[in-house]
Amino acid sequence: MASNKKVLLKVIILGDSSVGKTSLMNQYVNRKFSNQYKATIGADFLTKEVTIDDRTVTMQIWDTAGQERFQSLGVAFYRGADCCVLVFDVTAPNTFKSLDSWRDEFLIQAAPREPDNFPFVLLGNKVDLEPRAISAKRAQQWCQAKNNMPYFETSAKEGLNVEQAFLAIAKNALAQQNQSVDLYNEFPDQIKLTNTQKSNGGGDSCAC
Amino acid sequence: MTKMPTTPPQISPVEEQEKFLHDALGVVKAQAFHMKRALDKNKLMDALKNASAMLAELRTSLLSPKSYYELYMAITDELRHLELYLVDEFQKGRKVPDLYELVQYAGNIVPRLYLLITVGLVYIKTNTSLRRDLLKDLVEMCRGVQHPLRGLFLRNYLLQCTRNVLPDSSETDADSPEGTVKDSVDFVLMNFAEMNKLWVRMQHQGHSRERQHREREREELRILVGTNLVRLSQLESVTLEKYQKLVLPGILEQVVSCRDAIAQEYLMECIIQVFPDEFHIQTLTPFLKSCAELEQGVNVKNIVISLMERLAAFSQRSDSLGTEGANILQEVQLFEVFSDQVSSIISNRQYLPPEDMVALQVALINLALKCYPDRIEYIDKVMLSSVEMFQRLGLEHLEYHSSVAKELQKLLKIPLDSYNNVLVVLKLKHYAGLMQHLDFNGRKSLSIYILTNALENETIIPSPDETEQALTLLGTLVSEKNENPLGEVDLEELAEEQCLLARFIHQLKSNVADEQYLILTMARKILGTGGPLRIKYTLPPLIFQAYQLAHKYKNLKEENWDKKCTKIFQFCHQTITALVKAELAELPLRLFLQGALAIDQIGFENHETVAYEFMSQAFSLYEDEISDSKAQLAAITLIVGTLEQISCFSEENSDPLRTQCALAASKLLKKPDQCRGVATCSHLFWSGKSLASNKEETHDGKRVVECLKKGLRIAKQCMDVSVQVQLFVELLNHYIYFYEKDNDQVNIEILNQVIKKIKEELPNLESSDETEQITKHFNNTLEHIRVRLDSPEEGAVYKGIEI
Repeated sequence: MASNKKVLLKVIILGDSSVGKTSLMNQYVNRKFSNQYKATIGADFLTKEVTIDDRTVTMQIWDTAGQERFQSLGVAFYRGADCCVLVFDVTAPNTFKSLDSWRDEFLIQAAPREPDNFPFVLLGNKVDLEPRAISAKRAQQWCQAKNNMPYFETSAKEGLNVEQAFLAIAKNALAQQNQSVDLYNEFPDQIKLTNTQKSNGGGDSCAC
Repeated sequence: MTKMPTTPPQISPVEEQEKFLHDALGVVKAQAFHMKRALDKNKLMDALKNASAMLAELRTSLLSPKSYYELYMAITDELRHLELYLVDEFQKGRKVPDLYELVQYAGNIVPRLYLLITVGLVYIKTNTSLRRDLLKDLVEMCRGVQHPLRGLFLRNYLLQCTRNVLPDSSETDADSPEGTVKDSVDFVLMNFAEMNKLWVRMQHQGHSRERQHREREREELRILVGTNLVRLSQLESVTLEKYQKLVLPGILEQVVSCRDAIAQEYLMECIIQVFPDEFHIQTLTPFLKSCAELEQGVNVKNIVISLMERLAAFSQRSDSLGTEGANILQEVQLFEVFSDQVSSIISNRQYLPPEDMVALQVALINLALKCYPDRIEYIDKVMLSSVEMFQRLGLEHLEYHSSVAKELQKLLKIPLDSYNNVLVVLKLKHYAGLMQHLDFNGRKSLSIYILTNALENETIIPSPDETEQALTLLGTLVSEKNENPLGEVDLEELAEEQCLLARFIHQLKSNVADEQYLILTMARKILGTGGPLRIKYTLPPLIFQAYQLAHKYKNLKEENWDKKCTKIFQFCHQTITALVKAELAELPLRLFLQGALAIDQIGFENHETVAYEFMSQAFSLYEDEISDSKAQLAAITLIVGTLEQISCFSEENSDPLRTQCALAASKLLKKPDQCRGVATCSHLFWSGKSLASNKEETHDGKRVVECLKKGLRIAKQCMDVSVQVQLFVELLNHYIYFYEKDNDQVNIEILNQVIKKIKEELPNLESSDETEQITKHFNNTLEHIRVRLDSPEEGAVYKGIEI
C-alpha cells in the first residue's frame, strides 16, 4: 500500500468503571482534567492526529462504559480495533483483578486475526493517589505473562505519562495495522457488480 | 408441466439474522473497497456513488437492533475514510464547489442524509463561521427519516460526528456565526426530543402480541437516546446556572411529557449517571418533583435510590478529599430535601407497592448514615415516618416472608450494622414501635440478629433503664406471653435462642455496684416472665452475676456492705426458688450449693445462717425431688464435695449436715451406690473444716475408718463378684489415701487384708472388658505402692506391705 495513504487507527479503552478511562482520553486529547465524576454510558470516540516517524496518523480513541449494563447494543465497536488499552486504578485492587476478563472479552468480541499477537497496552492510573494497592512490580509481572504487554503508570489528573503512553499505543497500533495490511490483501471476497442494484429486502412501504 | 413448489430449508431466526448481516456486510466491504480506490485516484464522484451504495444497506428492515448496530459500525468506520479525504482536500485548498448541494442528489433519503452529515462536518471543520447554521440545518433535515430504527441511528451519527465541533463558549455575542454553548444546547435538546419521539413511537407500532419483543428491542436502543444527555454533560460551558435554567428543564420537560414508562425510567437514571454530583445537589427539588409526575409503570423507587446512593458516595468522597463538595453538603439540606420529596412521592403515588415505600426509607437511612453519621435523629425521623406510613396504610403484623417485611427487616438492621452498638439502637425512640409492625417470626428473627450483634461486639449494657429497653426489645425471646400462636415450640430451636440470650445476660454490667444490683433486679423481673422453658436458661447467669456482685461488695468493704450481701443472697434464694417452682431439681440444687460456697467465701455478717439455709435447701431438693438413683448419687457427691469446702459452720450446724450426708449415702437404693456414697462421705471427717476445728481440717480418723469399714461391709453384700472387686479396689484407694495422709486409724494390716481379698477374687472373674479395667486399676494401685517402696525417703512408710 502507498505510504502516503491516510492512516486511521482505532484504539479501544477498556477497564472497570471509574478507573479514569474518560479522564485519560480527555487529558490526552484536550489536556483537561476535572474532578467531577460523570459516568460514561455507551461508547464514544475522540480523534487526535499524531506524527509517528514522519507519518501523520489519525487516532480514533474509543472511550467505553465500564459498567456492562450501559452497553445495551453490544460491543460491535470493538471490531476493527488496532490496539486495545486496558486501564486499572492502582488504588483499587478489584479493578486490577478484572483485567483478565476485559482482555478475554475483547479478544472474543473483536476476534482479531491473530489474537496472540494483538497489541494491548496496560495503564495503571491514579498514581497521584494514596494508598497504593497494586505495586508496579505486580502489574509488570502480569504484563510479562501477557506477551510482554507494555505498561505505563499514569495520572490523568496531573498529566503524568499520558502523552508517552498514548504515543506507545499509537506505535503499537500502527505496527499492527501495517502487519495485517502486508499479510492480507484487502480485496473483498467477491465482487458482484449486480449487487448494488439489489434493493434492501425490507419490503415495507417506507420511502427512506 | 407443473413445478412442485420448493420449500426453503428451515433456518432459525438467529441464523437468519446472521445471514442477513453477513450479506449486508459483504456489500459494505465491496463498496468500501471501491470507494477507497476511487479516493486514491481522486475520483470523488465515483467515491460518493460507492459510499451511497454502501449506505443504502442501512435502509434494511430485516435486521434486529444489535445486528443493525454492527452494520452501522462497519459502515461509519468506512465513512471516516471519506471524511478524512475531504478534510485533507479542503485544507489543501482544493474545495469541491457545491459539495453540500451535490450530495443531496443521492437517490434515497437515508444515504443522502448520512452523506450530508459527513460533508456538513467537513465544512464546519474547515470553516467555523458556518457552524451555527449548518448545525441547525442538519438537525432539521434529519426529520426526513421517520422510521424509528433508521432515524435513531441516523441521529446517532449526527451526534457522534458533531461531538468535537459543538460550540462550547459562553460568549454573550449571541449573533456570532460560530455559535455559543446555547446553540449547542438547543441543537442537542432538539435532537434528543426527536430521538425520544422515534423511540417512544416504536412502542405503538406492530401487533400487540409482539409487545414483549418490541420492548426488548427498545431497551437495546435506549443507549442511542441517552447519548444526547452524554453530549450535554460534555459541554464545558454548561455551568451550574445553565444546567439549572436551560439544560435540566429541557430534558425533564421532554421526559415527563413523553408519557412513556420505559423512556422515563431510563432517562431519569441516565440524568443521574451522566451529570456530575455537584449539579445534582443543587437541583434535587426539580428532579424529585418530576419523579412524582412519572407514569404508573415507572419504578420511581429505583430512580430515587440511585440518586441517593450516588450523592451518599459523593459525600463520603468529598469528605475525604475536603473539596468544596463538603461545603455544599453543609449548605444543601440533603437529608431534609430527600426526606420531604420521599414522603411526597409516597403519599402521591398510591399504586406504589408498600415494599417500595419501605425501600425508599431504607435508602433514606443509608443516605443519612453516610452523609451525617453523627445525626441519629435523622434515623429516628425516618423510623417515625415509616411508622406513620404503616399506620396510614393499616399494615400490621407483616407476614414474615412478604417483600414488605423483608424490606422492613433490612431497614431495622441498618443502624445495627453501621454502629455495631445496641445502645445506639436503644436511643432510637421509634425503633421498637417500628419493629412491632413485623409479625412474631419477623420480630424473633430480628431479635436474634440484635442479640448476635450485641454478642459479637461485646456491647455492655450499663444501666437498669437500658437493660429494661433491651430486654423489652427482645420480647419475643424473653417472654412466654408472645408465644408463637402457630404450632408447638421447637425445643432445639428454643435452646439455641435462649443460649444466646443467656450469653447476653453476662453483658448486663455496670461498674457501679449498686447500679449493678438494680440491673439484676430489673432483668430478673423481665426474665421471670419467660416461663419454665426459658428461665432454666436465663436465670442461672443472673444468679452467677449476683454471686460475682457479692464478691465485689466484699472487696469494696463499703458501709453496709454485708447488709447488701444479705440482700443479694435473698435475691438469689428467691430466684433459685423460682426455678424450683418450675419443677426443676438438679439445676437449683447446684445453684444452692454454688451459693453456699460463695456465702462461705464472702463471710458477711450472719452468713452462717444463710449458708445453712442454702445447704438445707439443697438437701430438701435432694430428698424431695431427685428420684433417679444415678442422679441421687451424683447429687450426694456434689453435696459432700460442697460441704467439704465450706468452713463457716459451727459444730451445731456442721455435725448434723455431715451426719445427714452419711445417712443419705447409706440410704441410697443400690448397694454399689451406697458403698461409693459412704466412701465419699469419709472425706468430710478428714479434710472437712468447721469453726470447731478452727477452720482447720477435722482429721477425725476414727469416723473416717468407720465410713470405709461400712463401705467394705456393703461391698461384701453385693451379689455380683465383679462389682464387689471393683468396689474393693476403689476402697483400697481411699484407704491408701488416708494412710498416706497419716490417719493413724489406717494401718498396713488393713491394707494387706483388702489387697489379699482382691487377689483372691480377681482370678475368678470372667474375662471381659470390665475385668480388664478392674485389673488395670488394681495393678496401677499396686504400682503406686511399689514406687513408694523403692523411694529411699518414703520406703519405710509401706514397711510390711504384701503385694
